[in-house]
Amino acid sequence: MDGKENLSSTKESSDSERFPSIFKYIASNSISGFDTTPSPRSDIALFEVPEVIEDDIQERPDNVILPTSQDQTGGLAHAHSISISMPSSPTLFQAEHSYGFLACEKSISYLTKDELNNHVTANSSSHQKMEAKCHSQPISFGRSNTVATSDVLTQSNKFKDKRYDSFKTWSGKLEKQISNLRGKPPEPEIENLTKNTKREVVPAHRFFDALEGPELDKLKASEVLVLPEDKKWPFLLRFPVSSFGICLGVSSQAILWKTLATSPSTSFLHFGLTVNLVLWCLSLALLGIISSIYIVKIILYFEAVRREYYHPIRVNFFFAPWISCLFLAIGIPSSIGIKLHAALWYVLMGPIFLLELKIYGQWMSGGRRRLSKVANPSNHLSIVGNFVGALLGASMGLNEGPIFFFAVGLAHYCVLFVTLYQRLPTNETLPKDLHPVFFLFVAAPSVASMAWTKITGEFGFGSRIAYFIALFLYASLAVRINFFRGFRFSLAWWAYTFPMTGASIATIRYSVEVTNIFTQILSVALTAISIIAVASLLTSTVVHAFVLRDLFPNDIAIAISGSKVDKNINTSDNGACQSVSNGDHYQANQKEGPSLA
Amino acid sequence: MEVKDHRVPVTAGAGEGRTQAVDGMPRGCGKLAGFHAGYFRISLSLCGQALLWKTLSEPGGGGASAARSAALRHLSRSVPGAAHLLLWSVALAVLVGLCALYALRCGLRRRHVAAEFSHPVGVNYLFAPWISWLLLLQAAPAAAAPLCRPLWWAFAAPILLLDVKIYGQWFTDGKRFLSLMANPTSQMTVVANLVGAMAAARMGWAEAATCMFSLGMAHYLVLFVTLYQRFVGSSSLPAMLRPVFFLFIAAPSMASLAWDSIAGKFDIGSKMLFYLSLFLLASLASRPALFKKAMRRFNVAWWAYSFPLTMLALAATEYAQAVKGGVSDALMLFLSALSVIVVIVLVVFTVVRTGDLLPNGGHDPFAPPPSPSPLGSPDSSPREISHADI
Repeated sequence: MDGKENLSSTKESSDSERFPSIFKYIASNSISGFDTTPSPRSDIALFEVPEVIEDDIQERPDNVILPTSQDQTGGLAHAHSISISMPSSPTLFQAEHSYGFLACEKSISYLTKDELNNHVTANSSSHQKMEAKCHSQPISFGRSNTVATSDVLTQSNKFKDKRYDSFKTWSGKLEKQISNLRGKPPEPEIENLTKNTKREVVPAHRFFDALEGPELDKLKASEVLVLPEDKKWPFLLRFPVSSFGICLGVSSQAILWKTLATSPSTSFLHFGLTVNLVLWCLSLALLGIISSIYIVKIILYFEAVRREYYHPIRVNFFFAPWISCLFLAIGIPSSIGIKLHAALWYVLMGPIFLLELKIYGQWMSGGRRRLSKVANPSNHLSIVGNFVGALLGASMGLNEGPIFFFAVGLAHYCVLFVTLYQRLPTNETLPKDLHPVFFLFVAAPSVASMAWTKITGEFGFGSRIAYFIALFLYASLAVRINFFRGFRFSLAWWAYTFPMTGASIATIRYSVEVTNIFTQILSVALTAISIIAVASLLTSTVVHAFVLRDLFPNDIAIAISGSKVDKNINTSDNGACQSVSNGDHYQANQKEGPSLA
Repeated sequence: MEVKDHRVPVTAGAGEGRTQAVDGMPRGCGKLAGFHAGYFRISLSLCGQALLWKTLSEPGGGGASAARSAALRHLSRSVPGAAHLLLWSVALAVLVGLCALYALRCGLRRRHVAAEFSHPVGVNYLFAPWISWLLLLQAAPAAAAPLCRPLWWAFAAPILLLDVKIYGQWFTDGKRFLSLMANPTSQMTVVANLVGAMAAARMGWAEAATCMFSLGMAHYLVLFVTLYQRFVGSSSLPAMLRPVFFLFIAAPSMASLAWDSIAGKFDIGSKMLFYLSLFLLASLASRPALFKKAMRRFNVAWWAYSFPLTMLALAATEYAQAVKGGVSDALMLFLSALSVIVVIVLVVFTVVRTGDLLPNGGHDPFAPPPSPSPLGSPDSSPREISHADI
């Protein structure tokens, strides 16, 4: 294979220039593992090249010399050739390749100017990879490459930030301001680096084109990210808004234990109010911690937050903090002794109201975010807020406000319910098989039944109808428990536990109304299921957090590119630095592909 | 309907020429072709205003509750009864004039009327005259009371006939399924049923009222969901017609009023419908960009703003009577003032820019499309409309 390639290359070279073919031949044959970078042809742009590629370079034969520009001596000075047998002189390269690159004493490869010029997208500051790539040195690869790489890494640490600049607030200027204020010396600006950090608006359809999966968090094979996939991103960038699901799960548990302790029909269990107190304090602490982290993320990485807002599924999680606050207010232990003022209700419902105006308005008249396309079970989170608010308001003694939110929630719930049940063929976001997100179906009717009870003062027909609908949906999902398999754990699963807890609470309320052995058994059973679910989820979370350490993986969903990028040009995904249009490289491609997959 | 002439006018000049050549009618009749049912928006607004003023000015107005809030009593003293009567007469005159014109159109431009009937937007405004008549009936001074009952039948019957035809089409006619034809003006059909129900209930006919109410609400449920879903490929509204989005407000307010009349008091159902329409108003008001294109030039679609606001104000007056308190009174005053201001502004615009309002010489936005084949029927492509003139 090597010989064949060399022959072809020699053929080319002999055709075009007076290049000593023997020389070429010897060069590539005598030195095994002759380090050549892939040919920087005009349609190539080198992106974040993972370290792994260094290993592959050993197997790479002499790559094809470009037919053009063979005239320079030793193949060194010309901008395109990569089969350089002579040690590259850093200064010479620096002179030629004035684009941003990293200076490293050892074998460092530089992105040729052509490669850099051929970057594809405008928002390519993160694409302008700073990592060095070994070019030409016939050095013992194993170690030196890694050494070079680690050198590159340590020195690229200070440049790592630059790649995330497009996600930072005001493209990183805020951070510089803060560090300037703190008296740090300003970092050396790499020219042209942050030039392209303009904000890009990701239209709605891009999320559907680029992502798949029930939570739209898996990247499709043909897509690329604007951030490096191989690196672990800064923690704040990995902290999704769906983390607020934990607060939802734990605070609803607090309400459950309070209901268990205070309802006459479950008094035979003899639970005290201590568990409620503990869970309540725990959920308060969790809410505080997660909110503060997310506020810091908003301050520092506003663009990332904006992208989460545009994501069709994540946007619903923006309701989660407010719903958690409402749950905390509902589940407040009586031992704390605070009487909640009505003004608190208005304060909590204000953000929900504004978010609703935006999101329901988009359903009605927004451009591309039509409900028939974007409807997904997570939309229930935007509806449940209304019912929870109505429940809290009615418990506080308000009259009109709860009815207002109940009416709005009911009207839009009808719309959403019908749409999701239809499983429209134009709807792309519903998973074909079941996923825990489907449990959100149970949330709205169960909370609506409790809210209606509080509003009307009795568990009348309206409440019963809503409750039975919730029970039916729960049952139809529970018997299909086999289909809830094979999904990757994510923090958003916490949000799917609160419907189970809500159904248990509604059942307990129903058993207060209709007290017989069946309802009591049902309440105990549902309570047990919800407690087990939360406990197992807690275990998984702890395991992922401390043992597997992947509780916060790279948040792919927010890093998709704003417009479709031809993946063949991108090297970061499969290391195929060139398109397959040249047959010489095809085999090299094949070899590289699996190793980087 | 006869399909004699296939060369349908697309341009104004051609239209007028054609009318002269073929029908031998004077030039002015060319304008009849452009006078579509959308012009009844004017009468809708005026009749609605008449009803609002009657409710505000007369003691013990339209609602069933006996107690009146202080603000309302204040208002009723400040608005002289003569003003309401004057407005009612003006509304009556306008409605009679529009009906006469439309009757003329039915006689002379039958094909155009048929084309309008097949159009997804035009067909809904065929309910508009009957709604206006019913509203006028309710706003009528006490002297007209004995005529109310037979007149109610006279106006409700066409509504029921149109219902049967159009609602039936929604789920049986393959070319006119709801998923294809649904657009915000379809809520006019729902409003028509609810107005009929309200009028019947106030005259004491509980059964007829309940019948029309249930008819309206059942189809409202279906329509609400369908409109929110916004199926890809369903008929999308031209930008000039965006003011009809305000019909989203009209339907629940009307439902709230109708239920209030049927149930006898503004109970929780009416309250919920009223709150829904308030929310939709807030939602639309916070999206001014939606209406920007339509606001560039004055046209008859602007009149679509005022009727829903008037209905909402009416519902707010009932609400203020049921729920005493500063907030509800303030809401009622604000909404009433808003609707009055909007109507006044629209009247001023109409008087000043009459030319923009009138149909520009024979150009019918719902005109049957020119078809090459001799069998070209006007309802072959109901969606081809000119985006400028509706």
